Amino acid sequence: MTHIAIADQEPELHHPRTFIGKYIWSQDHKVIAIQYACTAIFVGLVALMLSVVMRLQLGFPDQFDFINPNMYLQFVTMHGMIMVIYLLTALLLGGFGNYLIPLMVGTRDMVFPYLNMLSFWFYFLSVLVLLASFFVPGGPTGAGWTLYPPQSILEGTPGSGMGIVMMLASLAIFIIAFTMGGLNYVSTILQARTRGMTLMRMPLTIWGIFTATILGLFAFPALLVSAIMMLFDSILGTSFFMPAIVSLGEATDYEGGSPILFQHLFWFFGHPEVYIVALPAFGMVSDVLSVHARKNIFGYRMMVWAIVIIGGLSFVVWAHHMYVSGMNPYFGFFFATTTLIIAVPTAIKVYNWVLTLWQGNIHLTVPMLFAIGFIFTFTHGGLSGLFLGNVVIDLPLSDTFFVVAHFHMVMGVSPIMVLFAAIYHWFPLVTGKQLNTRLGMIHFWGTFIGTYAIYLPMHYIGFLGVPRRYYALGDTSFIPDSAHALNANITIAVIIVALFQLIFIFNLFWTIKREPKSRINPWDAASLEWHTPDVPPHHGNWGRELPTVHRWAYDYSVPGVVKDFIPQHVPDSEVVYEPGYDRFTSGREST
Amino acid sequence: MRGFSALTEKPWLAMPQGPMQFDPEGGTPSAQIALRFLLMVISIAFILIFVTFLTRSQYPDFQALAGEPWLPFNQSPRLWATTAVLVAASAAMHWAWRSVKTQRPDGVMLGISVGGFLALVFIMAQWTTWNYLVNLGYGVSENPANAYFFLFTGLHALHLFGGVLAVVRVFIRIGRGCSISQVAVAVKACTTYWHYLLALWLLLFFLLTRTPETYAIIAAACGLG
Repeated sequence: MTHIAIADQEPELHHPRTFIGKYIWSQDHKVIAIQYACTAIFVGLVALMLSVVMRLQLGFPDQFDFINPNMYLQFVTMHGMIMVIYLLTALLLGGFGNYLIPLMVGTRDMVFPYLNMLSFWFYFLSVLVLLASFFVPGGPTGAGWTLYPPQSILEGTPGSGMGIVMMLASLAIFIIAFTMGGLNYVSTILQARTRGMTLMRMPLTIWGIFTATILGLFAFPALLVSAIMMLFDSILGTSFFMPAIVSLGEATDYEGGSPILFQHLFWFFGHPEVYIVALPAFGMVSDVLSVHARKNIFGYRMMVWAIVIIGGLSFVVWAHHMYVSGMNPYFGFFFATTTLIIAVPTAIKVYNWVLTLWQGNIHLTVPMLFAIGFIFTFTHGGLSGLFLGNVVIDLPLSDTFFVVAHFHMVMGVSPIMVLFAAIYHWFPLVTGKQLNTRLGMIHFWGTFIGTYAIYLPMHYIGFLGVPRRYYALGDTSFIPDSAHALNANITIAVIIVALFQLIFIFNLFWTIKREPKSRINPWDAASLEWHTPDVPPHHGNWGRELPTVHRWAYDYSVPGVVKDFIPQHVPDSEVVYEPGYDRFTSGREST
Repeated sequence: MRGFSALTEKPWLAMPQGPMQFDPEGGTPSAQIALRFLLMVISIAFILIFVTFLTRSQYPDFQALAGEPWLPFNQSPRLWATTAVLVAASAAMHWAWRSVKTQRPDGVMLGISVGGFLALVFIMAQWTTWNYLVNLGYGVSENPANAYFFLFTGLHALHLFGGVLAVVRVFIRIGRGCSISQVAVAVKACTTYWHYLLALWLLLFFLLTRTPETYAIIAAACGLG
């Protein structure tokens, strides 16, 4: 049930009076969203730079003296962790979640604005702690983003002193930030929807964010627990995860701990994390496709159920990341089966996206291009996942570049394609200006073709058996010269794709500075966020009264209606039909 | 069934009856919803540690803290005393909530003051227990059982301390002139949180003072033996 009294919490709003109150310690969900987005994009660019340096080493070994083996491992680790947690999770949920939830469900702000502000500042602190680890003695951890013990806290691994401690501390702070934000998102969606906004009238973006938030709330504790226990092992000398082990020729004081236990905890978080990133992306791409194809989303209910089912299943597949760690064969069978079952609701979503496009009035705008690009990258990434979900195929491919290519396609490139689609799509709402289309087109084609230039050959060198996380391959008989040549090609493609991202950054500044104001609701979207009295929306979002919702968010190209979309807040009595059209015999009313 | 019917709604169909009607006063306050989710999050964290604890308890190097006369928690008057303090804290918070319902401001102030103070006393008592263990030679890294004791009780105390901060905030709001009805939701949330942490502590108390044989039975029952 929704509560209009909570949604319309005018007395609770704290209108800021000072610059600091408005832009720094802001409690406005829109400002907080922009703070989240700017921080996430900045730290994402740092991670992008790290990947370029890694690729320079892989493509042109021994050519760059400033890259040493320790540094390579540290960059691999920081690139992975930053991209997964501090960019994707933060931008999708902290950025888009914060901006879109209150606007799409028709409320004035999150139900706990102060907690929302704290959430951002804790996130900011976690980023500072993470980046500070670059400057501590020994540098950041180089244990790989999975942080597996025992190597992560043993001497010999780069950053095994302060580096790993700061990484774990940063993760713990991030999880506190996420929990504050997550409680807000869930409570707002459940409690503060405006009049008429039933659960099944919510846009799929909200369904994706809502389900992903619940996944995060239930999965991040596993990472928190493992981080705290590993901090105990690292600082206090306990043996939760540390077995009796000889390090650098000397016996350590550790005894009896189980590194496998850490892996279970980590992946109990780690696999739902894939869907914490993917589900908001699924939701947002559904909305972008529908708006730009001028057609209602195909199979709305099935899309909602698929999101919920994928979310549930994501908690029972985690050990498919651990086939090579060894397990009871029946467990391997179980986890392979659940993993393959997830393909069913996921395939339903892909079919429904394609069927939404089918016979639609497709507008090949920049957001639409990115959304269609996502369908390609996600399908390809998903198909290679079917390979790796099987135990017998995973074992030889494990820890090769095939895995790297797979997860970059499915949870790296794909959500980022959606993020770009979403930024291009909602930018006019956030700033009142439409991003430059010509620059956007260049950005799209460079990114889309470039990602294939990177990851298609990467699958191949993975099949050859080229291992991941190696600083140098050396003279290895099973790796042909062609693989080295491909590695060089991949590196060049990475540099080109990275340069194309500079066009995007330039476009952001150029548009804000030079482009004229766009018209309100330039895409003619039906969902509620585009129908605020002011664009960009002012603090409090709505005027004196909250909107009343009369329909779902996908009334596009409704037969007989003059305009090709009907906004959610327009009642049937105000819909203008073509002269002579009898809507009562058209089938829509009686279906 | 309400949730099921909500998820089977067909939103693409026109609704001739117009927008749905809502009861502006009805339903659960947002703070209660958020608290329920928070308690689920905390529960998951502790359940995961329980699982690792039970698994580890079956390893040969695990030495339980009870079961032999010389072990520190074979008889545990110290822990019974801290339990009594936490029970009293929970009762005081409950008293505060009852006072909200009967509109007695003095009772609310007294209840949350005593509840918050006793929670601090409990945390101090836990601190003395940790020192007691260290002095006996049961330091955090000596044995996995000790490590889990410090981990469990430390996290529990940290959560309780977070609750104390929330109580202080309620206290300040009342001091600034907020009426009872304005703090009612917060007092109820604090009371629920205190009861939850008491229940969690009772579970921890039970778990951490068992003998190796009991651990073996529990682990086997959970399929971890």
